[in-house]
Amino acid sequence: MDVIEIRPDADPADALAAVAALRRLADQLEDVAVERAMRAGWGWPQVAEALGVTRQAVHKKHARRLIAAGVTLRRR
Amino acid sequence: MVVRFAEHARAIVRQAEEEAAEAGSPVVEAEHLLLAMTGEHGSEARDVLASAGLDRDGIRAALDREFRQSLAAAGVTLPAGGLPRASRDPARQARLAASGKLVLERALKAAAGQRQIRPGHLLLGALGAQAGTVHRALELAGVDLGDLAARARQALDRGQP
Repeated sequence: MDVIEIRPDADPADALAAVAALRRLADQLEDVAVERAMRAGWGWPQVAEALGVTRQAVHKKHARRLIAAGVTLRRR
Repeated sequence: MVVRFAEHARAIVRQAEEEAAEAGSPVVEAEHLLLAMTGEHGSEARDVLASAGLDRDGIRAALDREFRQSLAAAGVTLPAGGLPRASRDPARQARLAASGKLVLERALKAAAGQRQIRPGHLLLGALGAQAGTVHRALELAGVDLGDLAARARQALDRGQP
């Protein structure tokens, strides 16, 4: 694996753009990871705890999308 | 005086919601508005972008390059084939992100004194950013932003009824 080098001395424009890109990447990865976990039979409480957010937050953000995708959701 | 959105400009905003959904984004960012300008409702905005070699694929490639380069600055490399896709919520209404709102605000300013906000004004709104994804992506693609904005103004002047 490549060494990951965060550059604290980066040009401000590059550093800010990196933050914006990382946020976008994190959102995309969250959508994929939550869907995979729920398809694998995880419940909302475990997914929420794994993400470090409340159950309500993760449910509100993902439930409708996963139901529309036909994912069978566990109640707990 | 109430400035109204021309039908084409309204259609671009609607198309931008589609672009956001397709990109898996819950919000309409400036880049989704820019992509929408290359479509059937782009009108003079599409023509001006095309004159700089920026069709839909060209803009997508520029945005992808900006994303990868910005991530690289934080030491993150995307897999060559891109990320896996998540399922989408077909019923979700995309909200305007801060960057999308700024495009519309600047378009409104660019259209001051005119009857309608037209696609060219939306393009000026997108090109007016001094930072952000669109600004960086177009600079990375070697686009002369000032020249492109000048061409957008000329196209708007020509199209004045």
